[in-house]
Amino acid sequence: MSKTKITIAVTGLNNTDNPGPGVPVIRSLKESTVFEVRIIGLVYETLEPGIYMEGLCDKIFQIPYPSTGSDELIDRIEEIHQREPIDVLIPNFDAELFSFMKNEERLLRSGIHTFLPTLKQFQERDKDKLPEYGEKYGIKVPASLNLGSQNQISEIKEKFEYPVMVKGKFYDAYMAYNQEQVKQAFNKISSKWGLPVIIQEFVRGTEVNVIALGDGQGNTIAAVPMRKQYITDKGKAWGGITLSDDKMLEITRNLIRQTKWKGGMELELIKTVKGEYYLIEINPRIPAWVYLAVGAGQNIPEALVKLALRQEVAPMETYQSGKMFVRYSYDIIVDLEKFETIAMNGEI
Amino acid sequence: MKITDEVRISDNGFVFNSKTGDSFNVNPTGLELTKMIAQGHDFDEIKNIFLQKYELDDLTFEKDFYEFCALIKYHQITSPEDPLDFK
Repeated sequence: MSKTKITIAVTGLNNTDNPGPGVPVIRSLKESTVFEVRIIGLVYETLEPGIYMEGLCDKIFQIPYPSTGSDELIDRIEEIHQREPIDVLIPNFDAELFSFMKNEERLLRSGIHTFLPTLKQFQERDKDKLPEYGEKYGIKVPASLNLGSQNQISEIKEKFEYPVMVKGKFYDAYMAYNQEQVKQAFNKISSKWGLPVIIQEFVRGTEVNVIALGDGQGNTIAAVPMRKQYITDKGKAWGGITLSDDKMLEITRNLIRQTKWKGGMELELIKTVKGEYYLIEINPRIPAWVYLAVGAGQNIPEALVKLALRQEVAPMETYQSGKMFVRYSYDIIVDLEKFETIAMNGEI
Repeated sequence: MKITDEVRISDNGFVFNSKTGDSFNVNPTGLELTKMIAQGHDFDEIKNIFLQKYELDDLTFEKDFYEFCALIKYHQITSPEDPLDFK
């Protein structure tokens, strides 16, 4: 059977020690059995490693940060689309998702398909709304307190036992054993990510994750549970293994059914010694360890592209447990001309 | 005692629990014991096999056996119901 030729634009080529999912998403798409993909890499920075990886992208364009304004970002995407028609766009950063979700219709009118959560789905799973989310969908979540100012730090000892987790609205998390450490973490996080800063009950247990894909109708198209085996000082998985855990799959399917989740997602859970699961976070996109799911038998990026193109996708219900991934770092030697081209022209 | 279905035991003594992602190694004797438990042999059957095969007395076998049971319980590869009540 001949493969369908298709052009896919992907962001998140920052394969650093805090890796974006772009490179593994592209690897997954290149292994598609139904699509022959042409890849447009979209980058914010000129040193994103994916720019320099041979054979990864067919074309690379620099795009403006969403913080400069959604219109500028979408205008640039449309300008790129005029020159290199894009069939499907897969954004991979939390911070850019809002702009793309807001402009989903506009992109579609230009012929660019996406498959993203709705704004409601995106906003209700915000970290500072997790307790309400847990109650609404019947999932255990750690107790939390949103801090709008440093003055509220004294409230912590009335509501929690130390240690507690101190988290930013978008990124960053620190464990704090006393009020002084909470203050330090509060200052670091609030200066970087703004307010509120979230205080979360520390739940003892093992961190486990599920990568999943919802079709927007309540069906789970793919779901693979994983346990991080090697975690970096930034809390990122540098090694992991797929699990055979029916309870994790049940939690995922229930959540997708109730929320009618549309798009890729990652559930971050803590499994306690009693075998209870606490939801600590939902990432509203494909995570950087997606290639493990492909290796275990579920090509989630390929399925997401099919859904974006309104094609029928049957749920993938099996995968191999005990499949592992181990990341590594690698030095690419780059000629200055290549760096110069992307830095000066904003494309390569 | 029952070893759960999610547990994989390889011939070289590598034991992997696909539900938790944990793995550990057992020595040849531990492997023999683990396999017998996984196959559903009861305590008396395992004891008879070990007493015939190795030079050891009842008491030593029983002590080592229960110590081993505590170890595999610690690694969560047994069914949660009555994990120490070996029949």
